[in-house]
Amino acid sequence: MNVIFEWLSENWLAVAVPLAVFLATLIAVFWLRAYSFRVLNRWISQAAWPASKILVESTRVPSALWCLFISAGLAISVSKIPSGWKNPINNGMWTLLLISITLTLLNIIGNLITHFSPKLKIPDNLTIVIRNGSRVIILLIAILVLLGIWNVPTAPVLLLIAVIIVVGILALRDIFPNIIAGFQINAAGHIKKGDYVKLGTGEEGYIIEMNWRTTDIRTLEENTVILPNSHLVRSSIINYGHPLKQAQEPFRFYTRVHLTELTGMKARSLRELVDILRTSSDAIVYFHTHHFLEQHHFLTPEPSSDFALWVTEAMGDEALGERLASVDTFSFFDLKSLRDRLVGIIDESLARTTENREAMPGREFYFMKSVVMILPTPYVAHDLRGLAECLRQLSLGSIYFHIFESRLRLGKGLNDFTVWLRDNLGENELGEEISRLDPYTYTLEGLRSQLIQMIEKRIK
Amino acid sequence: MLGTKLSGKVIQNINSTFTGGGVAEILNRMIPLLQQLGVDARWSVIKGDDEFFSVTKKFHNALHGRAEEITERDYAIFQDTGKKNIAETEIYGDIIFVHDPQPIMLVNRKQEIGKKWIWRCHIDVSHANEAVWSFLEPYINKYDSAVFSSPSFSRVLPIRQFLVAPSIDPLSDKNKELPQAMIDSVMAKYGIPNDKPIITQVSRFDYLKDPVGVIEAFKIVKRNMDCCLVLAGGTATDDPEGEKVLAEVREKANNDPDIHILLLPPNSDIEINALQRASTIILQKSLREGFALTVSEALWKAKPVVASAVGGIPLQVKNKFTGLLSYGIEGTAFDLRQLLSNPEYAKWLGTNGREHVRYNFLITRHIKDYMLMFLAQEHSQEMVYL
Repeated sequence: MNVIFEWLSENWLAVAVPLAVFLATLIAVFWLRAYSFRVLNRWISQAAWPASKILVESTRVPSALWCLFISAGLAISVSKIPSGWKNPINNGMWTLLLISITLTLLNIIGNLITHFSPKLKIPDNLTIVIRNGSRVIILLIAILVLLGIWNVPTAPVLLLIAVIIVVGILALRDIFPNIIAGFQINAAGHIKKGDYVKLGTGEEGYIIEMNWRTTDIRTLEENTVILPNSHLVRSSIINYGHPLKQAQEPFRFYTRVHLTELTGMKARSLRELVDILRTSSDAIVYFHTHHFLEQHHFLTPEPSSDFALWVTEAMGDEALGERLASVDTFSFFDLKSLRDRLVGIIDESLARTTENREAMPGREFYFMKSVVMILPTPYVAHDLRGLAECLRQLSLGSIYFHIFESRLRLGKGLNDFTVWLRDNLGENELGEEISRLDPYTYTLEGLRSQLIQMIEKRIK
Repeated sequence: MLGTKLSGKVIQNINSTFTGGGVAEILNRMIPLLQQLGVDARWSVIKGDDEFFSVTKKFHNALHGRAEEITERDYAIFQDTGKKNIAETEIYGDIIFVHDPQPIMLVNRKQEIGKKWIWRCHIDVSHANEAVWSFLEPYINKYDSAVFSSPSFSRVLPIRQFLVAPSIDPLSDKNKELPQAMIDSVMAKYGIPNDKPIITQVSRFDYLKDPVGVIEAFKIVKRNMDCCLVLAGGTATDDPEGEKVLAEVREKANNDPDIHILLLPPNSDIEINALQRASTIILQKSLREGFALTVSEALWKAKPVVASAVGGIPLQVKNKFTGLLSYGIEGTAFDLRQLLSNPEYAKWLGTNGREHVRYNFLITRHIKDYMLMFLAQEHSQEMVYL
């Protein structure tokens, strides 16, 4: 103890001066800090810039440390500590100051990015990349400064950084355009997750994911198309808008193909025709009342059954042919009633005549039926938009199946679209409207257009 | 998708020859297409000597309704060769698709090896010789299914019967698009003028195609309208009747400069294509027909067609929708005049006809029908969810 007091009494100036410098500097820098924060607080209360608070809050505690480090550094500078000790201590002090400033900057940058990313609509993944990139840059600068403080040569490090940057640019040269495009898309805000879009290059579907590099689209076939953002910004896009009400169960489209099965039965006269028809299966009745429509769906619609055509052309009975042709198939909900009606008309006609005319050889009526194979298609509709777009792209066989076959041959009494709209989307009005549509008065292409129009009118 | 449903199944086609004849031509086109669709379709042929094939030729004619004298020895030759083929032909398919009568007896192996057996009848059997039909019927009834080209060819049978109409290949020489210069050169080659409407019938010179009736109908039309007639076809080298018909046709034409009788050599598909494309109206005034694919060929070229309501023609021509059906010379002349006087109506019929063929008589539909028929062997229901 005595040794210390002795040393102090002999060297009090060597202690007092640095101490005085330390205290004076400390007071000065704390005053400066307090003044700065007062000014900053005033600015925060006036400025509209929302990030100012982040700047102030992030520097409040570290700035106190900086005051201490600056004061200590100056005190050490003026002290009479041997230069062999003084420089490392001084460098150590600056190093602490640098670490503190670096940590503070990292904190500020992190908070600013977190704050501004949602406002700039930067995707989460891209936010992470920007944050990490900024951290790397700050750390690199800090390391370079640190090396400068300790007089370590920085040229090799700078060279290494340059090489890394060049390699990085080369490696990411295909990704950068997509990242930039991602910025553009997000900033413009023309499309967003859930929108139904159609690109000029042909892709279409619902946007299910937008990230910093790609945009994912779910097509009507339930496939996911991953589009690079740069492709998106180069293409023209029709945005059909926000997602519509989603169905409880999606509409899965089926299609049908058919093969004609021969029965070997034939009729030469009206009497034979009606006798066979009376006991025919539903499949035969369906075939001969829909076969013309199926085979000639491109024509201006003529609701002709094979019976009507045969009676007119082979039997030469135009009046009966007209009566059979004018049977409103749409008004029947099952094939038995339809058959009874056809049989009734022919019976009435036969009751009025005793003539039993026969068709010319080769012009007999051949009874047939169809074997129908029903196949799933990849098309699935989750809402009205999807339904309209699927209808636009589907084969006529699919539309035929859901409108004609399911209603009468499968005996549902209603077309599939009406049932789905009512049960899964609560679109009772639209469903009713479609159920009232007489499909027998349209060509299949005309029917497709009519259905799409009705759905699009409802969407609008 | 249908192809994948058939994956793992071997479809063994069996007929009597790899070359020559309509069936071989169809199989040569069909099998590669089926294979491309993932269907393992293969092709085998039976063996037979000249005697056997002369008997089957007689059967063929008799089934077509022509008068043939078929003796007990003919039936015995057919059965002897059939038995040899039963013993020697390797049956490896899951579905054995037998074409025409020649290999029909192979079905006797069904009891031994099982599998699904289909008999494909390419012949118009609507007026078949009953004796030949009765001889074949027990074999037909052993098959699981039979396939005919037209409803009028079917009969009441205890097995399932399917309708698979023939088809045209839109890319073949006879049907592909031709440059106008080529059409013009063919017309110039045969000296057919292009300054008046052209009515064309393409068919061999055979009484059943009624070429004399065609000239008579044309002469009625010509009383009021300036037009020309092209009768283009060949005669079978082994058909002495063909020469006779041709002579009668020439006599009936009486050197009328507006009647062009063209005796075309075999392989004149491009010429036939050009003639059809240059025509204003295509006529098919047959008295009897098989399926008459010449009608589909004409319709595919969007030409208005006037045709007799025989054989498979009514399947292709829906009267007043995809063409006009007629029954006699006067009716044919009336229809021709209607179309010549009303080019818009003729164009409408032609356009409808092309669409009708597009959906119903192209090779793509034919292949689809075959695949459905193969699938139908596993499903007896009328509505099948695949």
